[in-house]
Amino acid sequence: MGGRGGGRKPRNFATFRLFPRAGAADPNDRVFVRVDNNEYTVPGFADEDSFDPSLSDPTADAGHLHSASGPLPEHVRREILELGLPDDGYNYLSHLRELRPSAAAAASSFVPSSTARPEPLPLDVKAYDASRVRVGPTEVELDEGRTMCKVAAKTAPVRRIEKAVDPDVARLLDESDVSHAGSEDEGLEEDFVIVANRAEGEESEEEEEDEEVEDGNGVFSDVEEEFDFEDDPKPRERRLLDEQFDLLALEEYGDSDEDDKGVKDGEYELPSEVIDELKLFHSQNICVDEEYRTPADFVRRKLESSTTDEVDESVHVIKKCAEYAEKYLNETAEEEEVVLVSESSDESEVWDCETIVSTFSNLDNHPGKIETPGIPKRRLPRVFPGETATINDIIKLHGKERLPVEYLPQRKRGGEKEKKVKPAEATIGDKFKKGAEKETKEEKKARKAAVKEEKREARKAKKELKGLYKSETQKAQKVAAVTGPSSIRLM
Amino acid sequence: MAAADVAYAPPMKSGKPGYEGGVLEPQHRIRITLSSRNVKNLEKVCGDLVTGAKGKKLRLKGPVRIPTKVLHITTRKSPCGEGTNTWDRFEMRIHKRVIDLVSTPDVVKQITSITIEPGVEVEVTISDA
Repeated sequence: MGGRGGGRKPRNFATFRLFPRAGAADPNDRVFVRVDNNEYTVPGFADEDSFDPSLSDPTADAGHLHSASGPLPEHVRREILELGLPDDGYNYLSHLRELRPSAAAAASSFVPSSTARPEPLPLDVKAYDASRVRVGPTEVELDEGRTMCKVAAKTAPVRRIEKAVDPDVARLLDESDVSHAGSEDEGLEEDFVIVANRAEGEESEEEEEDEEVEDGNGVFSDVEEEFDFEDDPKPRERRLLDEQFDLLALEEYGDSDEDDKGVKDGEYELPSEVIDELKLFHSQNICVDEEYRTPADFVRRKLESSTTDEVDESVHVIKKCAEYAEKYLNETAEEEEVVLVSESSDESEVWDCETIVSTFSNLDNHPGKIETPGIPKRRLPRVFPGETATINDIIKLHGKERLPVEYLPQRKRGGEKEKKVKPAEATIGDKFKKGAEKETKEEKKARKAAVKEEKREARKAKKELKGLYKSETQKAQKVAAVTGPSSIRLM
Repeated sequence: MAAADVAYAPPMKSGKPGYEGGVLEPQHRIRITLSSRNVKNLEKVCGDLVTGAKGKKLRLKGPVRIPTKVLHITTRKSPCGEGTNTWDRFEMRIHKRVIDLVSTPDVVKQITSITIEPGVEVEVTISDA
């Protein structure tokens, strides 16, 4: 009990726990904090004032431990101002944290990850891998079409875009940042192409630019430059596109002997008829003048043109269109033809009993087992006061199973029912005689009791019947489950 | 006699470099208790501490694994009393490792400051050697 008081073991140990430093953003910045109350000191451990949140200069003045009130000491104010914080009497230094080189300094330094994905391209830019494109020496006739096809054949779409870190390029990029607006000797002028075009005869310039450009760009710039040089003023204001088309047509489609070459990479041969058609069109130079001319203008002979054949045709076409339109309209105005389709089956032209019966389906007709009716009026039907004629002709189907209840084999209860029914009938008959003058309390009670009895008997009969026909309902449920809607529940 | 001690180096088990007869600082028995809910981190920290201590040639009693405590909470799933009586069985596993060393406190401080892993609680108990 209390024996342990004196002989207790001396508790000469100290327990420290690692806690994250108060006010530290980095959770790994932890210090040891004493967690027990023993009288045992460990001089070298947890000596620092870890829980002192104010890292301001130790205001040695004893009275300034809480500097919330009164003006701040000068050095504190100076420090606050140095940091750029407002000098409004509040000691912002208490919110500061000294950055200490923690043991996890390595963890806090930036290490570029090797699995980082570079910036994806903007949506309107697509990257292709053109490393397989061979940039040979500039050919004698460099036409855009062929070059484009060849380039397109060799390039492959790129899924993962890696920034090409070519040391030379990187160096150049770095340099360009530094010496941007500087010398004109290094680097490219922005409009070097135009400059080159102006000084067309100077071949030395061209070569220089070619070399410089070929460093990074590839085929296209060469092609562009070459075509820019072709921009001579021509008599009929032919565009660059016309020239290119001519070259293309002559070279590729001019030689119909080369039909059996098959499909080259990126080039395809058109059938000769198409080529001929194209030639036709090629010969006609469609001048794009400033005014826009419609065929109607030609019809009214407002403007002259060299292509009168075309005009006639267009006129003809318009006339034909009008005719067709009229025809179409007339057609729709007429009545539609009514197509009669007579269904004639070979066999059943004459109806006989069998056919009639077979056309009935069980959905409409419920053939129960029809026995000889026996005594039709075994059970007297309930006669309501309002009813005058008793309907005996129809076999009524009752209950969920839709069975002709009156004609089913009755049991002993039938006798009881008859008995019960009779007095009820009697009272009802009395009522009729009296003309419903007075229905005394007892009579009312008797009537109600009779009704209750009937209902009770009916319930019992129903339950019995249900039991009798349970197997049938099970079968019916199976069928209904397959065929009928899912809302049908027979059991 | 202090002088005699210094002159005559006692034949002690000197596996430690820089051992000059007398102990520079008093060695303490240090027990480091590591506890965590996460075994992986815990084992990692354990391993680091052990390698650190071995590197400093300290007497070490390897990580003793205390049986894990499993805290159970069994509650009804339903916020109301309705429905089938289903129960949730929550558990929290606490793993604990103990490492005993004999060294000076600042060495221990060094070692423990290096290995930092989130979720692992470190408790150091220092006692007389």
